Amino acid sequence: MFFLNLGLGEFLTLFSAISAGVVALYLLDRSRRKQTVATLKFWRPAEMPSQQQQRRRITQPWSMLLQLLGIGLLLLALAGVRIGQQLSEGAVRDHVLILDSSAWMGARVRQGTLMDDARAQARAWLKTIPSSDRVMVVRADAVAAPVTRFESNRAVIEKAIRETQPGAAALNLGEALRFAQQTGGRGEIVLATAGRIATGELPATLPPNLRLLHVAGPYANVGLRKIGLLRSVTDPDAWEIFVTAKNYGPSPTNVTLALQFAGTPVGSRQFTLKPTSEQEATFLFKTRAAGVVEARLLSAGDAFPQDDRASFELPNQRQLRVTVYSADPALLKPLLASNPNVSATFLAPLEYGAPQPPKAEKPDVIILDRFAPPSPPQTDSIWIEPPALQSPVPVAATYTKAKVTKWTNDAVLGAGLHTHDLELDSAIGFRAGPNDIAVASVDAGPVIVARPGAHKTIVMGFHPERSRVKYELAAPLLFANILRWIAPESFLRWQLTGGNVGTVNVKLAPHTDPAQVRVIGGDGSTIPYTIDGDSLRFFASDPGTVRVLTGEKELVYSLTVPEVGDAIWQVPASVRRGVPRRTPLEAVTHDIWYWLALAGAGCLLAEWIIYGRHRTRLRAMQPGRPAPMFDRKAS
Amino acid sequence: MTRDEPLVDRNFLERLERLTLHWQKSFPGLVGGHNRSRFAGSGLEFLDHRNFHHGDDLRAVNWRAFMRLEKMFLKMFQVEPRVPVRVMVDISRSMTTGAESKFAYARKVAAALCFVGLVKLDLITIQPFSDHLEHSFLCGGGRHRFMPAAEFLSNLRPRGAGDFLKIAREFNHEYSQRGLLIIISDFLDDKDCFKPLQYLSDFGHELMLVHVWAEEDRVPPWEGELALEDAETGANLEISFDENSRKIYTEAFDEYAAQLRRLALRNGGRYAGLPTSLPVEEAMFGPMVTTGGLA
Repeated sequence: MFFLNLGLGEFLTLFSAISAGVVALYLLDRSRRKQTVATLKFWRPAEMPSQQQQRRRITQPWSMLLQLLGIGLLLLALAGVRIGQQLSEGAVRDHVLILDSSAWMGARVRQGTLMDDARAQARAWLKTIPSSDRVMVVRADAVAAPVTRFESNRAVIEKAIRETQPGAAALNLGEALRFAQQTGGRGEIVLATAGRIATGELPATLPPNLRLLHVAGPYANVGLRKIGLLRSVTDPDAWEIFVTAKNYGPSPTNVTLALQFAGTPVGSRQFTLKPTSEQEATFLFKTRAAGVVEARLLSAGDAFPQDDRASFELPNQRQLRVTVYSADPALLKPLLASNPNVSATFLAPLEYGAPQPPKAEKPDVIILDRFAPPSPPQTDSIWIEPPALQSPVPVAATYTKAKVTKWTNDAVLGAGLHTHDLELDSAIGFRAGPNDIAVASVDAGPVIVARPGAHKTIVMGFHPERSRVKYELAAPLLFANILRWIAPESFLRWQLTGGNVGTVNVKLAPHTDPAQVRVIGGDGSTIPYTIDGDSLRFFASDPGTVRVLTGEKELVYSLTVPEVGDAIWQVPASVRRGVPRRTPLEAVTHDIWYWLALAGAGCLLAEWIIYGRHRTRLRAMQPGRPAPMFDRKAS
Repeated sequence: MTRDEPLVDRNFLERLERLTLHWQKSFPGLVGGHNRSRFAGSGLEFLDHRNFHHGDDLRAVNWRAFMRLEKMFLKMFQVEPRVPVRVMVDISRSMTTGAESKFAYARKVAAALCFVGLVKLDLITIQPFSDHLEHSFLCGGGRHRFMPAAEFLSNLRPRGAGDFLKIAREFNHEYSQRGLLIIISDFLDDKDCFKPLQYLSDFGHELMLVHVWAEEDRVPPWEGELALEDAETGANLEISFDENSRKIYTEAFDEYAAQLRRLALRNGGRYAGLPTSLPVEEAMFGPMVTTGGLA
């Protein structure tokens, strides 16, 4: 029998101190109480000399003994007394059990996975250590995370082992061992791993108390390393798909890389991957529709199928529908036809408001060329040289021979606009409102005004194809900027990338405004990021989709491909291996504190029932109205 | 009770006006407060004039007649030979024991009885006592004389040890005229108090014993080893006290009270036992009425 929480000396000291207090209180409670009374004449008949001598000593000794016994039992319960052989203080150790929870531990082996074997070895090791030893369970992949504190309760430890599952990242062995050393445990650092680690994550020195529970498994694996989808620059309907596959095994492997869109095969490649080498395959796939693109790697004898498949959901490529009401449509056709994202329809001004075919889609933007409709359009609109009385922005004056002196510095509207000594033969000047944007101005005032709102409106005081602007590069740029300002979502450039969880570096376009950058997780939450120059960096700890918005570009990262370690850890010979053949040092111990606590409480309860209740009743006795002794009338 | 706190409040006094002190004996030559006599003396109502003689009380001279006639006439008042009511209040130290002071309780009872008597124009003598008779206070003539009596009672302080035999002797020596004798006490005299009470009764006084006790006097709440000290004599007694002892104690106390009651009733008197837990108001309209002391 030994104490878990208190030493024998501490227990005896505590018990002596409390017992002394109890005895003192007991004697004080039963010491003679001085009372001043009105007379002694009624006390003498009540005096019992036969008991006087006995009560001068300790009265009710069983009451005191029961109290002392109860307190002693409660103290024993607090001390955590155990039945069994106690180990010496130096034999009680704190161990750190590192369970490799990297993605590779999900590789198939025999009837289960590498993780199953690791768990079995961890449980076997746990049975060999004394029950008094404490163990901290740490799950390690890219980061090392403790699951339990130093715990002696085997049920808690086994539950932590049982619930450990393979993750999505590679094992960072150096960090896991550093964490284990920082815990300061005096026992062993036990590492249950298959030995596949991330390159460059090897520790400089290994801790001397390291024990390796090596999980033997296959090394042959071919998997997708990276996948990228990018809208073609030349053809907006086409997607360029780049897939990188890697052979992690020691022997060459023939693989087939198949690509499917919405369940339909759209391409495949066959190649031979050399040992520990990567190969990239490129696909060109045309579609405007949304759907799931899936890349699948087929190879024989692959032990880790989780990295053989990756899929993306392609967004719908939507065109901007523009309806032009112009008496001279030939002027504007080149401007609109140059943009593949724009689908333009040209109508005569007289057709404005005419009934449309039932299946005709409502235009996104209406361009009114020198024409004002009877009622303002209920959508975004571009007015070119509107009639003075019907202009949506009040006309201030008409200028002749006016030089464009200023273009807006708005990031979208003014992108790339620059002219030198551009003189307009004739231009309409406008009175811009407080929220309006003066896109182009002459000395006397603005000649192109943008008005934000529910329906965005652009009013141009000169025709881009009927003035000298048509000879400038600013003409198509101005029109492209206006359309992008009106419908920015139609001009987004998509790029989809598949990869592993962890730190992701994104190359930003030059001069990207950091204020327009947002990094959003799959659940809509904002993910912290840093921007260093033209490089954006964020960290994703869980598999999922991350969107990076940079104004005109949206990058989608599907971080669902498991990260498999590139290197096989060559274990030094000095490292102890396997489950030790050591029997437990102590016999089986039993906790009896709850029985002791129950017995102690029972003793105190019995003492109260037998003795204390009576004393409580006496203290509670208050002088009340007595029954009248003589209540009949004297006569 | 603090020094400024009244012994009885106004509402209680108004209720007390309905009560009357009652006695059973017939005292020759004396009447109650509600009857008149034609004897001249120190009364309150005018009876006649006579010539002034040397030695007469100058306060009774009719000065208006002197101013008019330059002769001194003395006003005479009718005497009221009433049955004397003496209220003896025990102020011994034994009255100070108990959670609720018997001494304060006794003073309240005395004040209430005094007011009842004054309302009915009785002549009241308040006579404190411990081991001897203290200075007394005589009051009569109506309710407006109650305040001095109440002040007298308020100024009493407990002292001395009770000695009823000595008190009886002094009382008979001091008050030769028989009357109603109300004794408010705990009657806890270490010596025998029955013989002195019998002696007073035999002398012709009608006894009304108001027995005041604290609850601790009848049922001691303590248990275990007790070191007891007599409040009056300072005598000590160490005793082991338990439930059985308490029972014996209470029986002895009740027997003592029963003896007091028998003594009072045997001699044509009355006995009222008042525990201090019983409010004085309830005591006056309860036990004091049911025993016939008040009506």
